[in-house]
Amino acid sequence: MNLYVLKEQAMIGDLWQYLKEFNIASVVIRLLLAMTSGAIVGYGREKKERNAGLRTYMLISIGAALTVLISLFENEMLSDRWLSITQSYSLKFDSARFSAQVLAGIGFLAAGTIVASAHQQVSGLTSAIGLFAAAVLGIASGAAFYECVIPAVIIVIFCMEVLQPLEVAFKRRLRNITVTVKYLDKNDIDTIKKTIEDQGAVIYDVSLEGEDPNDRYPSAIVCMKMSRDKSSHSEMLSSIAELPCVLSLHELIS
Amino acid sequence: MFKILDPLRDITFFTVLLRLILAVILGAVIGIERSYKNRPAGFRTHILVCVGASIACMTGIYMYVNLHLPTDISRLGAQVVSGLGFIGGGTIIITNGTKIKGLTTAAGLWACGIIGIAIGAGFYEGGLIATVLVLVSETLFSYLGSKIPHNEKFKLLLIYTEKPALNDVMRFLKNKRMSISNLEITGKRDSTQSQYSAILTVRPRQKTDRDSLIGNINEIKGVVGVKLV
Repeated sequence: MNLYVLKEQAMIGDLWQYLKEFNIASVVIRLLLAMTSGAIVGYGREKKERNAGLRTYMLISIGAALTVLISLFENEMLSDRWLSITQSYSLKFDSARFSAQVLAGIGFLAAGTIVASAHQQVSGLTSAIGLFAAAVLGIASGAAFYECVIPAVIIVIFCMEVLQPLEVAFKRRLRNITVTVKYLDKNDIDTIKKTIEDQGAVIYDVSLEGEDPNDRYPSAIVCMKMSRDKSSHSEMLSSIAELPCVLSLHELIS
Repeated sequence: MFKILDPLRDITFFTVLLRLILAVILGAVIGIERSYKNRPAGFRTHILVCVGASIACMTGIYMYVNLHLPTDISRLGAQVVSGLGFIGGGTIIITNGTKIKGLTTAAGLWACGIIGIAIGAGFYEGGLIATVLVLVSETLFSYLGSKIPHNEKFKLLLIYTEKPALNDVMRFLKNKRMSISNLEITGKRDSTQSQYSAILTVRPRQKTDRDSLIGNINEIKGVVGVKLV
């Protein structure tokens, strides 16, 4: 019985070792692992928005895993078939060169998904980081770094799925709020500031936006910290919106 | 790796021809799906990317293995990976200020380039397996992806006369497990009685019936009207 368990453990150990070597079975396993980890990261994003879906993440993970495999393949060629050449001519070879470029390449690609919209808002950052995470997970699975990939996938899911609602809930409770106000006349900003301060809030930054030629009215971005006892976002917003000089009001929440 | 393919690993006129033809075929296979969907980068683009990447990789190997020049055989091929990242970044279009299009095309083009590198390096097994997996993820998971329920953001236009109504609506939405990611309030001056309108950007966490949601919001005291924008 004991011997049987030992034998089984040895078999699992052998299989583990076998999958760490460079052979056709481990190539298939590595690429499949990369594809799966990409799909897991992509699933949560697919649920939220369509632009960076499941497939995008899977394609990037597969590609990233393949770069490592190409390096391993070249390494094997150099130490086996082309051994006579490497022995007689100086060899410069870096097994991480292909996969190192993945980080740069995906960085560029992901930068394309980041959108800066009006009102100083940035969106698409989480999608971009998700692409980067998918690429890195692909590299790790291509290198047969299974010990890292499996916990890393869990951590990435945790960050993207569990922490996101927590972050939103946290931001709702923050006493710091940032609003964009559009108002009738340049001088009205003082009235707006006074209204905010009357509610016990402290304004720590007001940036006036240059008058847009397409837009007849001035606007400002106001950062404030609300008082401890009066901290409902919507109450503060509606008190500003009530002012006759305010045309529109926009709270910035990422 | 398969020993039987070993005669094809060196760079000779015959293997170069074989790799180029294989790159054309694999590029076409990957690209035809994109072409079929009438996306900007059709199968011609994919073929060129795949062939180009394999040429770069073969040149790198040729410089060391055949010409014995002191260079890293993977340097040329590796730059393809970051270079295609640039090109891919250029295919992404931002419409409407926030919507992104062309990301899957960019990722597909990038993956196609890496498959081209694998073929150029003589790593036929890797290139072929990756092509199969890319095709699986492009076709099968495209289908599965459309089955995933999408919890997309939507905008609600809310018109109300009494100030506390906005707070009530926000609390109502919060109880329905929806988060409000943006709030825009516009006061209306020209009417005799005070009337406000607000645009709420709502992100649901599960599938919701928007019509019944609107009906429920309409019943809240002080709300005059509500509709989807």
